[in-house]
Amino acid sequence: MSELFEPKIIAFVCTYCTYAGADLAGTSRLKYAPNVRIIRLPCTGRISPMFILKALQKGADGVLVSGCHPGDCHFTHGNYHARRRWMVFRSLLDFMGIQPERVIFSWISAAEGGKFADLINTVTEDIRKLGPFDQYKELIRETEAPATL
Amino acid sequence: MITQEKYRSKAKKLLAEGSVKMVIGYSPGSTPDRRRPVFIRSFDEADQLVLDSNCIANLSGYLVSEGLLSDEKHVAIFLRPDGIRSINILAAESQLNVDQIIIFGFDTNGNEVRALTGEHAGEFSEFIGSIKEHPPEKSRDPLLYQIEQMNPQERFAFWKDEFSRCIKCYACRQACPMCYCRRCIVDSNQPQWINTSSHTLGNFEWNVVRAFHLAGRCVGCGNCDRACPVNIPLRLINSRMAEEVLDSFDHFAGLNPAQEPVLASFKKDDSETFIL
Ligand code: SF4
Ligand code: SF4
Repeated sequence: MSELFEPKIIAFVCTYCTYAGADLAGTSRLKYAPNVRIIRLPCTGRISPMFILKALQKGADGVLVSGCHPGDCHFTHGNYHARRRWMVFRSLLDFMGIQPERVIFSWISAAEGGKFADLINTVTEDIRKLGPFDQYKELIRETEAPATL
Repeated sequence: MITQEKYRSKAKKLLAEGSVKMVIGYSPGSTPDRRRPVFIRSFDEADQLVLDSNCIANLSGYLVSEGLLSDEKHVAIFLRPDGIRSINILAAESQLNVDQIIIFGFDTNGNEVRALTGEHAGEFSEFIGSIKEHPPEKSRDPLLYQIEQMNPQERFAFWKDEFSRCIKCYACRQACPMCYCRRCIVDSNQPQWINTSSHTLGNFEWNVVRAFHLAGRCVGCGNCDRACPVNIPLRLINSRMAEEVLDSFDHFAGLNPAQEPVLASFKKDDSETFIL
């Protein structure tokens, strides 16, 4: 392995807290790993588990989901609903053999630019250590193979 | 036999006096140990009804057939405890009005069949509560322990192998009383969330989604597991999810008709140890 593996990570974030936090990281000129593609959504309550599956389907090595701290949701309780959903979805993925380290959840407020930058760095390092999500990618490759008769 | 006679005559009486428009029950199937759902509309047909330990299917899904309950008439139905739980969930999710349902409750123990006391869903709440507190001695499936012992790669390989056989027939969905959506997420194509082909990726996605949509709603009746033509052990996933909602949120699906669905409610102090 001469070249360092660069994981592809998709981050689903809510616009009111984590996205604003990411903005703050940017305007504060904090440096963080460029491996994350951020997708902004109105609320963590809008982050369906389907999004996580879709990210994996399209070849992501890891997924990050992040939003407002409990009590801070712009829509008052979207994040409480999301939290329950994640709890269940996470244990389902674990049971299916998808390491919990590949799908990470966090609360990051609009004021936590530093936390955002740190988290992206840690997550990127952690997933780099895990390596590419080969088992899933094998399933994806299989879909591209010509049909067997 | 005694229970069968009791319910047969009850069915005849209810149909004769017009207090129910239909009785949903079991009739003899294609082999001696199989039972087939039957829909009895007049009292002279009621002798087709059988009730014995082979009556295992959860019939509650028929209640949400389009239009069946929209005339506000009553329907009687044979249900095991898990079927009663399904009705409670359907009511809690506004799919039916429990007042329209007359329950012919029964349970089996080996070859023995006994009637359950009660006629309306609400009357069974205490009984269902006791199942939650004292789950039957049916030990946990040994395969569950085995799967938990595996490392993630082995678990992935295990499920990959199982799901590779899936033919996307959706029998598991059709057989499940909780899968009542007119348009399932796998049927929508704008956007298309799940690969529709039955290659292993599509099968994997389908089975993850099915399990997730039933988390906290599945009553473990086993309809899906029995329906699967390629014997994918769906029961393992279902029971793992049921354990999860019980451990995390103390939720036992289908306790009573007013129970809040677990993923449509929350507590401010729900566990969040996994959130960074
Ligand atoms: S998922 Fe299977 S076991 Fe659970 S309620 Fe549906 S049919 Fe029954
Ligand atoms: S019943 Fe079995 S084969 Fe059919 S879609 Fe469900 S899991 Fe796949």
